[in-house]
Amino acid sequence: MQNAVRLKTWPTMRVATDVKVSVAMVGLCVVAAVAFASWLPLQVSIITLFLFAGPHNWFELRYFLMRLPVRFGRSRNFFLTAFAGLGVLTLTYVSLPFIYNAALWSEGAWSVVIASWNTALLFWLALLVWLRSRQKPRSNWTWIIPVGLALCSLNWLGPDLFSLAIVYVHPLIALWFLDRHLRRTRPAWSRAYRRCLWLLPVVLTAMIWQLSRTSPLADDNGLFWRITQHSGAEVLPQVSSHMLVSVHLFLEMLHYGVWIVALPLIGSVAARRLWEVKTVPIARHPRGFPRTVSALLVCAVAAVVVLWFGFSIDYATTRDIYFTVAIAHVLAEAPFLLRML
Amino acid sequence: MKATLVACCLVLLIAGSAQTANADLARDPKYSRAAPEKGKFVLHTSLEIATDAKAYEARLQISQSDLKSFQAALKGDVGNSPVVGGIAFSAPRTIVAGLLMFMAVSVAGVLIARSSSFGRAQKTIGAVLLVAVLLGAAAIITRGNAGPPGSWRWRNLPQALAEGKPTLGSVDIEIVPDDQMNGRNMRLIIPLKKQNAPGEE
Repeated sequence: MQNAVRLKTWPTMRVATDVKVSVAMVGLCVVAAVAFASWLPLQVSIITLFLFAGPHNWFELRYFLMRLPVRFGRSRNFFLTAFAGLGVLTLTYVSLPFIYNAALWSEGAWSVVIASWNTALLFWLALLVWLRSRQKPRSNWTWIIPVGLALCSLNWLGPDLFSLAIVYVHPLIALWFLDRHLRRTRPAWSRAYRRCLWLLPVVLTAMIWQLSRTSPLADDNGLFWRITQHSGAEVLPQVSSHMLVSVHLFLEMLHYGVWIVALPLIGSVAARRLWEVKTVPIARHPRGFPRTVSALLVCAVAAVVVLWFGFSIDYATTRDIYFTVAIAHVLAEAPFLLRML
Repeated sequence: MKATLVACCLVLLIAGSAQTANADLARDPKYSRAAPEKGKFVLHTSLEIATDAKAYEARLQISQSDLKSFQAALKGDVGNSPVVGGIAFSAPRTIVAGLLMFMAVSVAGVLIARSSSFGRAQKTIGAVLLVAVLLGAAAIITRGNAGPPGSWRWRNLPQALAEGKPTLGSVDIEIVPDDQMNGRNMRLIIPLKKQNAPGEE
């Protein structure tokens, strides 16, 4: 199991200079992301999703494989619960549009269905936290029970708002991954990174303040309508859809940036050779699964190509399918983040 | 990291509620029940009165979002705030939410009472209270009548019109029956108090 985690303290030559350069680059990227997201939210959203949605999922898959132990050992229950929950929740989520199209329930009953799925998600997360806490006897994670119950309560008050909150909070989780990774691999960078993070609420406040009075985006075609709906224009009709799409796009850009650029860059030199399967611990280990890992990564590359092809043929439908299936990667982040805490 | 995450979530949460909440609690009754003889208040929004020397005719510009709100209000949707509307008052869901919140508060209370490290518990309670106060303050500012009365923003309208400057203030949209409009289609009522000339009592 220890082989799954190959973390080294970075040799500190020119650390201070590198940190300053990196902070400056991150600042530039954030400013550029804010500018593009605020200026042309719909157009940039289309391009960003086309270019980075598939690749970022590939990078996430590879990252998760890097952190998967060869043998589960003491974590057997944790991983079984994680994978079982991941499968069940993804399948039920994917089936929701079909159930909705069948029009089996009224609007009120439908909100109960959404609230029930969200409750199952929260229960699964709380269970994972509890299982993880059993492996960390020194830490006290019992607070998860009241927090989970309170979140469930809020979810039942407004299931649509809760689902929308997941859409907005999910991109931020990538920043948490980066934080944990930096703390383990490059502690010298951690403080600078956390200081940079405090800019995020400031940037978000500025964006919201600046864009809140802008006129709504023209959602007169199917694709633009989908983008505004995904950002919550229907749930929050009095909020400018321009602001919603811009803020969501900005967060998505950060999310893609972390998975595609930041995390691979701060990995070890060996881990940066993305094409080499042997850099993945469960493929390198004598009792590992190199063929399975290779097959998974090749299939994932094929899925990315298929996604690009789909976007080229019918962007709107592919977008819908992608965001439905992509719930799997949203869910998969939870157990792997918990393993890093 | 957790603090930053919480801060970002709070910004989004407060901004979301502040953007959408109705900013005058005292006016709520007239939104909830229509007074037939006086019309029905459907929306509280902002209005700018501006002059344009090049314009051929007076123009009334309405934002798309406000138009959607009119339509929603006329259909009789709950309240006029989408967040409040989103938190629908379905009886079964409210009961489940209430039970869960009761359990959350109860379990949290038991955990705090049993906590051996009371200093840490105090910090937790402090953090929870801080968040509650923050949300409460946001609610008072946005839902309560925290600012000056609406007429205050209109007080300089005559002077601004004379100087060709725009004036921005709050406005209630009221749907009035045709027979009470005396042949008029639209009317704008500005809350201006008569100002006495210097030396006049």
